[in-house]
Amino acid sequence: MTYPEQLVELIEEFQAIDDQMERLEYVFDLASEVNELAADRWTDETRIRGCQSEAHVHVDIDDSTVRIYSGADSKLVQGLMGILTIAIDQQPVEIALSLTPEFAVEMGILNSLSPSRSNGFRNMFDKVMRDLKEEE
Amino acid sequence: MAIQNDFPILQRQVNGHRLIYLDNAATTQKPSVVIDAMNEYYTKHNANVHRAVHTLAGEATDGYEACRTTLKSWFNAERCILTSGTTEAINLAAHAWGHSQLNGRAIVLTEMEHHSDIVPWQMLSESLGNELRYVPVKPDLTLDMEALEASIEGAGLVCVVHTSNVLGVRNPIEEIIRIAHDNGAKVLLDAAQGAPHCQINMAELGADMMALSAHKMCGPTGVGCLLVNEETFQEMQPFMGGGDMIETVTLEGSTYQTNEHRFEAGTPRIAEAIGWNAALAYLGQLDLKKHHKRLLGIARHVASELRSLGMTVYGRHDDNDSSVVSFLHPTLHSEDFAHLLDARGVAVRTGHHCAQPLLNRLGISGTVRASFYIYNTMEDAVEFLNHVRDILERFA
Repeated sequence: MTYPEQLVELIEEFQAIDDQMERLEYVFDLASEVNELAADRWTDETRIRGCQSEAHVHVDIDDSTVRIYSGADSKLVQGLMGILTIAIDQQPVEIALSLTPEFAVEMGILNSLSPSRSNGFRNMFDKVMRDLKEEE
Repeated sequence: MAIQNDFPILQRQVNGHRLIYLDNAATTQKPSVVIDAMNEYYTKHNANVHRAVHTLAGEATDGYEACRTTLKSWFNAERCILTSGTTEAINLAAHAWGHSQLNGRAIVLTEMEHHSDIVPWQMLSESLGNELRYVPVKPDLTLDMEALEASIEGAGLVCVVHTSNVLGVRNPIEEIIRIAHDNGAKVLLDAAQGAPHCQINMAELGADMMALSAHKMCGPTGVGCLLVNEETFQEMQPFMGGGDMIETVTLEGSTYQTNEHRFEAGTPRIAEAIGWNAALAYLGQLDLKKHHKRLLGIARHVASELRSLGMTVYGRHDDNDSSVVSFLHPTLHSEDFAHLLDARGVAVRTGHHCAQPLLNRLGISGTVRASFYIYNTMEDAVEFLNHVRDILERFA
């Protein structure tokens, strides 16, 4: 499928990293890419279920574009949120909704993670898509 | 010859690094003799046990029953019911003994228990209405023995973990058994973590039931046992019905075996029992006391270094405790820590370790747990600590 330009760049960057440690380090760095959802706004509704750590996400649609706000107590999980932010934040809703978690597989990050973390990413993705459809 | 050479898996690399396996409280690695014994069973002796008269069935039965004999002798136990592991053993105790013996009587548990020693009793309580009384863990990470004494009146059973899987703390089992027996309660020991680290003499301790797993002591997964003294064994009622546990079956009803087979319905874990027996033979030729002392020395060193690096370490590492080091960094999430260690070939455990009530008491949701076993060396510990330092430098 055709990905937004910034996501294509990110996939290529990840594919260029061979070392597992460097890949994780890069995910950690991407934690700063999130639009922060402050801990005092974490509620049961924002909670991503099935995640080993506390992870929260909130999506808005602003003038037909997606806004995603998120936060986690794990930097690695927040880094995964950063990846999702780069993928869909400020993108038209229909582009965001056309995505599947396959882009993370192409990046090579899902197989770098434990099954629980990789499921956590899928749960995060599913929640964002579900919330977007409700907002639409 | 170095003990590490007995464990083929320790020769492999993980993510380009030498494997440093420090998740032994979850499961231990298997020496070649265990793998070979199971392989030999399947290649030369595979048959169902007990009733058939052919040669293979006799060999399989001998192999399976030899494990039971070894376990009875190893733990000085009167009865040994083979199960799938500690969890099934405790569930068996709840169903086969608890259902008939605990009607209306309270059950004393501790906050230090693994979920497998809490949930079966909660389920029993839902069905029979037993009161569950929990002995708290004190700030010094030991059981509140005064609370235990205060909660014992009218109780029919005390369930206590021999050695905590999170803290490595070895509980004052002797005193707990004395208090329980003085008050007419039986004692079930969860020895999943204790059994691999020390020789437990069940008869000498006076425990009534004791549950453990093979895989935490170099044996295969899928097999464990409930050791029971004779008095308790005679009080137990059949739990699972089916083949092998019966004496006769008619359309009107059935009669049951009177030995341990009474509680082992269906085809048992034959290869696994044979593997466990091989593991016990392997451990039997080692000086486990010497290893325990050595591993405790490693755990103390690791705990002290981690503290100096700003970690909170949950454990005290007394002489009889196990070599488990649970720790937490003030800012780096335990799951992140484990991922970063795994990228360097270090296997540790994270999360609640199936002991959520204990972690709630500690006010945390998880720890990183490094646990050491017979094949671990000080070199493993030093390498592990170097990786920890590097991770802190780069990520904390």
